[in-house]
Formats: sequence, C-alpha cells, structure tokens
Amino acid sequence: MSVIVLLICAGGLVAGGFLCAFLWAVESGQFDDTYTPALRVLLDDDGSVSPSGSEGAVHDQSRS
Amino acid sequence: MLAPLAHADAPLFGLVCRHCGDACDDGRVGGDQGVFCCVGCQSVYTLLTNEGLDRFYACDIAPGVSQRGAQDRAADRFAALDDRSVANVFVEFDDGQVARARLAVPSLHCASCVWLLERLWRIEPGVLASEVDLLRQTVRVTYRPKETTLRAIAERMAALGYEPLVTVEQPAAAASSSRRRLYRQIGVAGFAFGNIMIFSIPRYANGATLEGGFQRLFDALNLAFALPVLLFSAADWFKAAWQSLRTRHVTLELPVAIGLGVIFARSVIDIVSGTGEGFMDSFSGLVLFLLVGRLFQQKTFEQMAFDRTYRSFFPLSVRLERDGGCDVVPLERVQPGDRVVVRPLELVPADAVVLHGPGAVDYAFVTGEQTPVGVEAGETVHAGGRVVGTTLRLRVTRAVSHSQLASLWANPLLRVPKKAWITDVADRFGLGFTMAAVGLALAGAVWWWPDAGMSARVAAAVLIIACPCALTLAAPVTLGTAMGQLGQRGLHLRHTGVVFDLSRIDTIAFDKTGTLTTSAAPVVVEHGGLSDQHWPLVRAAAAESVHPISRALAHSGEARGAVQRLLETPGLGLSATVNGHRVRIGSAGFVGAPFGARTDRTHVAVDDARGWVRTKAPTRVGMEETIRSLSRAYDVRLISGDHDGDAARWQPLFGRAMAFRQSPDAKLSLVRSLQADGRRVLMLGDGLNDAGALAAADVGVAVSDQTACVVPACDAIVAGGHVRDLPAYLRYARRARHVIVVCFALSVAYNAVGLALALAGALTPLASAILMPVSSLTVIGISAGAMRWSARRMLPA
Repeated sequence: MSVIVLLICAGGLVAGGFLCAFLWAVESGQFDDTYTPALRVLLDDDGSVSPSGSEGAVHDQSRS
Repeated sequence: MLAPLAHADAPLFGLVCRHCGDACDDGRVGGDQGVFCCVGCQSVYTLLTNEGLDRFYACDIAPGVSQRGAQDRAADRFAALDDRSVANVFVEFDDGQVARARLAVPSLHCASCVWLLERLWRIEPGVLASEVDLLRQTVRVTYRPKETTLRAIAERMAALGYEPLVTVEQPAAAASSSRRRLYRQIGVAGFAFGNIMIFSIPRYANGATLEGGFQRLFDALNLAFALPVLLFSAADWFKAAWQSLRTRHVTLELPVAIGLGVIFARSVIDIVSGTGEGFMDSFSGLVLFLLVGRLFQQKTFEQMAFDRTYRSFFPLSVRLERDGGCDVVPLERVQPGDRVVVRPLELVPADAVVLHGPGAVDYAFVTGEQTPVGVEAGETVHAGGRVVGTTLRLRVTRAVSHSQLASLWANPLLRVPKKAWITDVADRFGLGFTMAAVGLALAGAVWWWPDAGMSARVAAAVLIIACPCALTLAAPVTLGTAMGQLGQRGLHLRHTGVVFDLSRIDTIAFDKTGTLTTSAAPVVVEHGGLSDQHWPLVRAAAAESVHPISRALAHSGEARGAVQRLLETPGLGLSATVNGHRVRIGSAGFVGAPFGARTDRTHVAVDDARGWVRTKAPTRVGMEETIRSLSRAYDVRLISGDHDGDAARWQPLFGRAMAFRQSPDAKLSLVRSLQADGRRVLMLGDGLNDAGALAAADVGVAVSDQTACVVPACDAIVAGGHVRDLPAYLRYARRARHVIVVCFALSVAYNAVGLALALAGALTPLASAILMPVSSLTVIGISAGAMRWSARRMLPA
C-alpha cells in the first residue's frame, strides 16, 4: 500500500504545477481582458509590423 | 431682404455620412469622396485613406464617431497633460526611453475601433504599440517620450473621434487588480476542492474499509489542503464579517462567514480528536462555488457598465490670467490669490471672489438646485458652481482640492431624491432575512443538540441556504441589464432606478422646440426689418448661444463683430453689446417690439432698430405616430416656452392639453401641479429652458442632438433620433418590473424550501453550498436573459 503514498506525492506535484501555471497566467494579465482578444483575431492583418516588433497587442508582464 | 434657404425642406433620411453613418440632412460636404455630415468626419476619412488605413471602413458600415460639434470643444483641452503631475495619473510606466499610459475612451464601441486604435503607431510617430480593452473602454499606449508626448497622442486620438477622458480618476487599473485576486482565490479553492475530493473517495464509497493509518493520513491531508482555502480564498468573507461586527452593521457576509467557521471548526475537532472525518470537501466546495458566483456577478455588472460611461464634469485645467496673458494650467497649480477666467457652462474650480460683475452661477452639482444665482463683483462663489450666461473673472480665495471637487458628484443630494427605493426595499428585506436565518440556525442547532455533528451541519446548512443573495440580486441585475440594453438603443439612464421610475409613469409632458422638432437643423425661413449691416452683428451675438433658434440664425449668413457683455435669460432671450451696438434677440416683450407685433416670430433689435426672424424647425420623423400611440395609454401634454404660432400643427395630437409661452418657472410649476394631483410625470425637453422641470419630474429625459451637451439635472438622455421610440422604452420598463416580481417570488420560494429541508436535516452543507449559488445564478440568468430577450423583441435595433 505504500505505493499510495508515492501516488499521492506525484498527484500533489502535478496538481500543484498546474496551480502555479494558473497563478502565473493570472499574474501576467491573461485574464484581465477576456473579450477583446476574441475580436482581434477576426480583424484582417494588413501585413504591417509595428515598431515594437509585434503586430497589434503586446502582453503586459507588469504587476499593475 | 428675404432669404429662403435652398434645402430647407431636404429629406431627413436617405443620405448618410460615409464616416459615422449619421443622417446628413443639413449639409453635403465631401464632393467626389462621398457624403459627410460635417467637415470633421471628412477630415478623419481623408487622414485614414491617405495613411492607407481605409480598411477601417471595410470592417463595418460607417463605423466612425461623428465629428459634429468637435470644433466647438476647446483646442487646448489636453494642455494639462503637458504637466507631469497630471500626466502621471495616466502613465503606468516611464523609464525615459519607453513609456506606457492608459487612457479611458468612452466612444470605443466596435471591432473597427479596436482595429484602428491598435494601428495608432502608423499615424502618430513615436507610438510603439497600443492595446485596446473594449469592455472596459480603455486604450493602453506604449510610446517613446522623446519622440511624442501624451498630449500629442491624446490630441491625435481626439482628432480621430476617440476623445480620451481626461478625468481625475485613474481608469480601471484598480478593478483589474481586484479581479486578479478573485481569480487566484478561485484557483486555490478549486485546487484544494479537487484534491480533498480524491482523499474523501473512501468515505463516499460507503462501507469501503481502509487501514486505520491511511484514514488518518487522508484526514490530515484534507486539513492541510483546506487551510489555504480558509486563510486565502475565504478571507474576504471573514474580513467583511469582522468589519460588520466592529461597525455593528449587519451585512450579508456575516451568516456566510459564521457558516464557514462552524463547518471548519467542527471538521478540525473531528479530525484532531479522531472521532470522524470532518467535512472539508463541503467546506472547500462551498468556498469555490461562492467565489464562482461572485465572479459571475462581477462579470454581469461589468457587462452592464459597458454602456453607461461615467463622465466627470469637472474641469481639469483652469484659465489663469497673468500679466495680461491667459495661461491654461492644471487645477492643482491654482493658488489663492490667482485670477481665473471661467466661461459659460464651465465650473468654478475653487471658492473665489467675483472681480467683474454681474454674472450668474448655478449650483446644480452641489445642491441639485438648478436656478442660477446672480452674483455681483465682490461676492463669493463656491467650488462646483457652474457659470451661466456670461463669462466670469474670479480671484481664488481658497486652495483647490481635487477630491473635494470629485466628491461633489457623489453628493447624496444629487442621487437620493425620489429614487431607487426598490433596491432599498431589497436591502432592508435582506437584512431582516439575515437576522431570521441566524435565529433559525441557532434553533436548529439546539433542536439537534445531543447529536453534536448533526447540530453543526444543520446550523451550517441553514446559514448558507438562507443567504438571500438571489433576493438582493434580482432587482439590480434586472434593472442594470435593462439600463445597458436601453443604452445600446439610444436611451441613456443616469442610474438603474430610473428604469423602475419609467415603469410607473402615467403622464408625459413634451417640450416643443428641440424635442418634437429637431434642433439639429432649424433653418431661417425669412427675416426682415433690419438693414444689411445690422444682421452680421445679430449673427455674431447669436453664435454665442446654444439655443436652436440662435444657432439657426448664426448659420444663416456672415457674422461679424466682437461680442461683449452677453447675457442670456432662459425663456426670454439674450442681449449683448456687439461693436458698441446693443443687440437683443428673443420674444417680443424682451426685445421691446411695438405693440401688436406678431408673436409667431423671434424678434431682434439693434439699438433702436427692430427686426424679426422666422425659423422653421422640421418635426422629428415619426413623432405624430409616436404621440398618437402614447396618448392611448398616457396623458400626453405639450408644454412649450415658445409662441403659439404653430399651435394648429399640434392641435390634432394634443387636443387641449397644450400650454405655450411658458417660462422655465411656469414649466416647473406645471410639472409640480401635475404631481400634486398624484400623477407621475415624465418630462421630455432639451434642457435649455426646462432644466428645472426636468429635475422636478419623476423622470426627466433630456433630448440631445449632440451627445457632448450635458444636462446635469436629468435622469436620462435620449438621442434625438430615438425620441420616437419612447413607447417601446416605456413598454420595456414595465416588462422589467414584471421580471423583478417574478424573480422575487422565485428566490423567496427557493429560500423557503431550502430552509425547510435544511432544518429537517435533509440537506448537507455541501448540497446547500451548491444550491445557494445555483439559486443566485438562476435568478441572474432569468432576469438578465428575460431583459435581453425582451430588448431584442420590444426595442428598436
């Protein structure tokens, strides 16, 4: 039955990893606006690239 | 002498502006580029096509923001952004090389707006990137401060029709950090709930035996996982409960916090003493569902807030008079002793003494009182007052406080009157309900007492199921959704309670000029009496006024002359000195026209010469039909400040319920006397001569052909083109009331059944934890869904 202890540890680690991933995603602002990105993909690219090197939005990594 | 204009009777529909899609009845600028409603729209179109951004027009049909009235706004209104202390309100980050600022842009409304504003770097050099948040209506701009300034960016956006709000508050940032916290709390609670469920499986599989050591290990693990839920995810309820105990003010969080505490304490006792396995699964599940319910509620409110954009009416910069010159400086810089110039309709920034009189100030923002107060030189005026009629020069006597100004708008005097008792009822009812629930929980616990575990579970289940969230949500969600839907369809409400007031209306009073007729395009049909060199002086004086007749007059030809000592008396007319001549425009009595002068005209006088003007304002499209259909269900009246020259035109619609030549005060007392008869009055007016009546009416609706014009006292603003949809709006408001009644009944039934089951011990805390958010969600779903569905069915697109 001691394999159960091993499984519990492994399960806890995996779940904890996902929790951390979620917390990072929240912190990096990915949940701040869940509406506009859905529109953005529908708009046509006109092939131009902004001076910041990316087309359209850049992601906010700051803690605002 | 007679100058009939060419397109006086041009059709009101057919031609629409290529940029903004508005009807172009009053002008056809544009030539080979197409039709535009104004020069502003055309210049935006030209700019975009020259920059290769014409794809903007491919995303949507005429997606632009109308530029009408744009040239009336002060060119230096963003000057304050050059000041670091002001700019820092908007700048989130600046290292000298790259800066990032967040601006609120209320006119953002569609995918085309997102497309255009995220390509700002193509038009404004120095901008690196811009990111739009459509739902919160903000734009975050990243730029090089060495190449461009925040002011230049703001001016560029304004030139495109996306006027940034330069208000005292920072937009949206605080909301987003509290939202992130809620997501984190949900993440932790969900993580704990899932794992605790796994360790509780042996217990769910009833009768499965487990070696004693493992049972203890699992219980201990459950306790370990539940701790972060208690300390982090559920922290807000405990904080709120503590707060409510300290202030001795019972809130809805209190029973929930007690319930959570009871379950957790009971479980800890069970686990530590080894007498049972506790209910940590119930506990964490309960917190998770409560948090998800809270997130959903927040999202709903945010969606509703999308359309009612909040405007701060206070000037951020002030004109300072120094060494003969005039400087625009940020409000914070104003010191006692400074001399400031405040133009009509601008606000007095600080307590000050009038230098040159006479003038007039109204304190609608401070006291709700619309009537202007006359002020003489040497008298004191107070911060928040609005200058009326003529420009005032003031010497500031007290330091300016931004927060003092901002708090004026939050003045309860402006909000409380006559309103929103329905939300109060729900709140008070909720309070009684909470007290009863705590009592019932105690009674249940005592009843089951010999069985301590059962006693704790019953008490917790009762406390959680009894939370009258559904009840308190019904009214705000229904009214809020209705307000948002109405806002999308042309009727903007000041707050949600107005929907309820609208549903109880039985009398409707219309103003005539600017309400039944369109004030966007009145035209001078003919004029006479004065010599040719006098008319330019008259037009120069008329150009200083926003009254529809003045505007028509000002646009009827060339204006010339320097206007001084302008004084406008609502309901009578205006007088001014132009190039040394005394000019008066207004009613026959005001101007001093000879006895027997025709009353269906507007009279003008230059010194001793008398003349007259006849204007014609076209009736709004569909008004006859609207009034006919309204008069079937409502008492419909006409209250006009103008002469009765066209009474015959309205006779078939209003019958005898017409009153002409009503002064602003007479309009007010007419509304008051109707209310004294027990009627609930809806007043529709353009807010120029009837601001008092609008404020006194149960619902005052200002008709606006130019959305930049604001009437502080009104409860709602309707776009000119939507006046004819009034019957639909009223039907929709009544529907909202019915939906609220249904939701109230539903949530009372939910609570009664749930309480009975919980007291009987038939409901576990987990079941009540699921049932409670479910009841809230069904109420939100029903009310929001019904209002959206009805909006599609009942309201014009």
